[in-house]
Amino acid sequence: MGGAAVGGAGSWEELVSAALVGTDRRPYDGDLLADAAVEVLRRRAGQRPAPEPAADRFAPEPASDGFAPGLAVGGVVPERAAGGGTSERVAGEVAEPEELPGVGGAAARRLTRILGGEHERLLGEWLRLAAAARRHVPAHVLPELLERGRRDRSIRGRLGVVAGRRGRWLAGCNPDWGYLLDEPTGADWEFGRPADRLAHLRRLRAERPGAARDLLARSWEQEAPDDRAVFVGALADGLSADDEEFLESVLDDRRREVRQEAAGLLARLPSSRLAARMAERALACVRLPRGGRAIEVVPPETCDPGMRRDGIRPHPPRGVGERAWWLQQVVSRTPLAVWGDPGAVLAAPLDEWEGEVRSGWVRAAVSQRHPEWARALFALDPIADLLDVLPAGERQELAAGFVTRKEMDSQLIMVLGGVERPWRDALAAAVLNKIVKVAATQPWNLGELATLAGERIDPSLHYLATSAPCLRDVATLLRFRAEMSKELT
Amino acid sequence: MPWAETVTFPRRKLSYARASLRRMIDARHARVAEGLSELELWLGDQIRGGLAASGPEGWSAMARRLVDAQAPGAAGLVSRLVRLPASGAWPERLLAEYSLLRLLAVAYRRRAHLPPPLARTVLTRVGFPVARAEVLAAAPVRDHWRVVGSRVEEEDRVTAQRVWLRGRDSGRAALLLAYVGPGRPLPDAPAVGACLEIDLRFYPGAAPLRALASIPDVPFPGAVLDASVPGVPVPVPGVPVSGVSVADGGSGGLCATTCSHASSATACSCASSAAACADGPPIGEVPAGVSAEQALSEVGAALAADPWTDSWPVVVTGTVAELGGLGFHWSFHDPWRLIAVSGGRPVTVAAEWTPYGLRPMTVWDEDGSAVVL
Repeated sequence: MGGAAVGGAGSWEELVSAALVGTDRRPYDGDLLADAAVEVLRRRAGQRPAPEPAADRFAPEPASDGFAPGLAVGGVVPERAAGGGTSERVAGEVAEPEELPGVGGAAARRLTRILGGEHERLLGEWLRLAAAARRHVPAHVLPELLERGRRDRSIRGRLGVVAGRRGRWLAGCNPDWGYLLDEPTGADWEFGRPADRLAHLRRLRAERPGAARDLLARSWEQEAPDDRAVFVGALADGLSADDEEFLESVLDDRRREVRQEAAGLLARLPSSRLAARMAERALACVRLPRGGRAIEVVPPETCDPGMRRDGIRPHPPRGVGERAWWLQQVVSRTPLAVWGDPGAVLAAPLDEWEGEVRSGWVRAAVSQRHPEWARALFALDPIADLLDVLPAGERQELAAGFVTRKEMDSQLIMVLGGVERPWRDALAAAVLNKIVKVAATQPWNLGELATLAGERIDPSLHYLATSAPCLRDVATLLRFRAEMSKELT
Repeated sequence: MPWAETVTFPRRKLSYARASLRRMIDARHARVAEGLSELELWLGDQIRGGLAASGPEGWSAMARRLVDAQAPGAAGLVSRLVRLPASGAWPERLLAEYSLLRLLAVAYRRRAHLPPPLARTVLTRVGFPVARAEVLAAAPVRDHWRVVGSRVEEEDRVTAQRVWLRGRDSGRAALLLAYVGPGRPLPDAPAVGACLEIDLRFYPGAAPLRALASIPDVPFPGAVLDASVPGVPVPVPGVPVSGVSVADGGSGGLCATTCSHASSATACSCASSAAACADGPPIGEVPAGVSAEQALSEVGAALAADPWTDSWPVVVTGTVAELGGLGFHWSFHDPWRLIAVSGGRPVTVAAEWTPYGLRPMTVWDEDGSAVVL
């Protein structure tokens, strides 16, 4: 331009560049500010002087101004932003209408409160109740919920249901939320995605275990290795001796995870061939005493191919010796019936390898769901997993007794943390009593116990918690949950 | 001047009082004229020296000068230049603001030759206050006013509460604006999505937007909703308002001011259905939206009447892409709630148009519930 005066009715760009350097250095022929005012108003009113390419109509704000890149996806800003798009969704695709009914207004408002930070830890329970009622959430909470699910895997399964079709559509727009597309939605075995197929298999297994196994066996050869491991795991529910044939054949699968999954299940079947082989190995290692002497333990010297086929992992984790590792696995996969009466066996002293044998028994009691052993082992060492094996009523009774006897410490919290909600009468009463007692002696230690109580006690028992001032927070939480559950059922 | 209407003068002193008032007004105009002509000169200097040399020190000095010159409106326009984001488009924006400031100074100088409503707009923008009594004396506009958005913002030591309305029948846009000093409670505002059958009285100007809401049949000024007078409204809990947002968490204090006078100022008929199903999601009425193109011509009409228009509530029905075609304001960071509610389909969105893009405020979902964005 070389300093030549710019013409009067200059374009906006010319006006800006003249003003930027100043008319002293770049003379402007006319009243620059007056021309600019006309141009500004024309532009603001959307009447641009000359037709411009469509993409330009996304002005005035270029993306560099901090505008969220989100609009680049989901086909919502098709032109200008499409180049930077991070999703494969094609422009113009819309969300399908929902199949499930929505949650009620009161439930939706409560969800908003929880997301806003009120009793935030109840989010999981809210989602569980909504998923059980098969309701979907209103669209406007989806971004926040999906963002939570991105950070917290534990809620993803429920999100698959409550997010509805709109949620999946949205997840397709934002790669950050893509995980939702892997959660089950209710589609069927033949055409569903893996998560749907797993959900289908589980449902069928719960109703007709044999039919589920046969369904899996028919398509077994076509399944991807990762899916096989997960699908075999689904047979844990309703496991019976009828499954042995199929599981035994799976022991020769190419993939280690698949073999181990099958071996784990077979070990739970006391009558299986694998259980018999394992018992033979175990009895060779752990020799039961005769007449009050100590149990003699000789761990395996090697991990032979037969052991590997039966699911024994040859390589121990860091810090564990090989033989200890093999011993523990052999014991944990041996039918507990082999050892006889748990009371007598546990009373006998163990010379060496006590830790390995004991933890093998604990694992066996949990995986074989053996109540007698679980009861006996819990009396020796209160491990929360053992309670899981017992029928719900007994579990809570045992926990209640434990709470009453036990000093307030972190083990108490761990055990209670393992007892699923809802806590009913005996346990609820024991825990509330404990809170009152602890409040009198060591109130600083109350926080986690009170929170657990509020979150786990059956909300319909909220009236139990109204007497003492130290129970006020617990009572508030219980009432909140009682209302929440009413809104979602 | 506000007190001119209320102070009564003895008859024989009336002419003296009038003359005195006239002298005061003239004196103020003289100071304002001086300040604005300095502004004109200063703007000319900025253009000659180049925008690149413009900066906060110059702006705050000029703003102080305009405050001294009793032109607080113009001073505010200058002092807010600091808030223009320093991005690539900064020179354009600054030039736009400068050119409109110059236009204001010139318009003030020539106000005698302007049509009266525009001259009035110029005075208001420069910073001459509008007497409340004058607004209350204006003809009332009765309509079913839909609350399409609201926002509370901190502005230089005061809190501004804005409530935007659109009339169902008139299609008019309105703004209720209240300023609250630090530490003072905000007045009750009607819930977003609510629909109120009330009278509005507009502030004078070429493109009237700001208004006072009033309850008919109740003597002024006690019934004024506009909350620049604190403590005036008569909030009633449980006012049946329609389409109340579930997204705002049901926070209290959003109640409309009307319903203790239910006979004269009722929530619209659409409200009753919402009240009837207080348990479920409120099935509200979605306000009528226009296309993005039509919204732009609404804004164009406002700009044609008042070139300094920098905010106008629009209700647009369209896809998020069509809205995006109008450009979004830099403060609109998170579009996901809007996208989620749209599901890729056209939705009705209330947004504040600004020269720097739309600021979406509210979207209505399939159930007709207003969702605050």
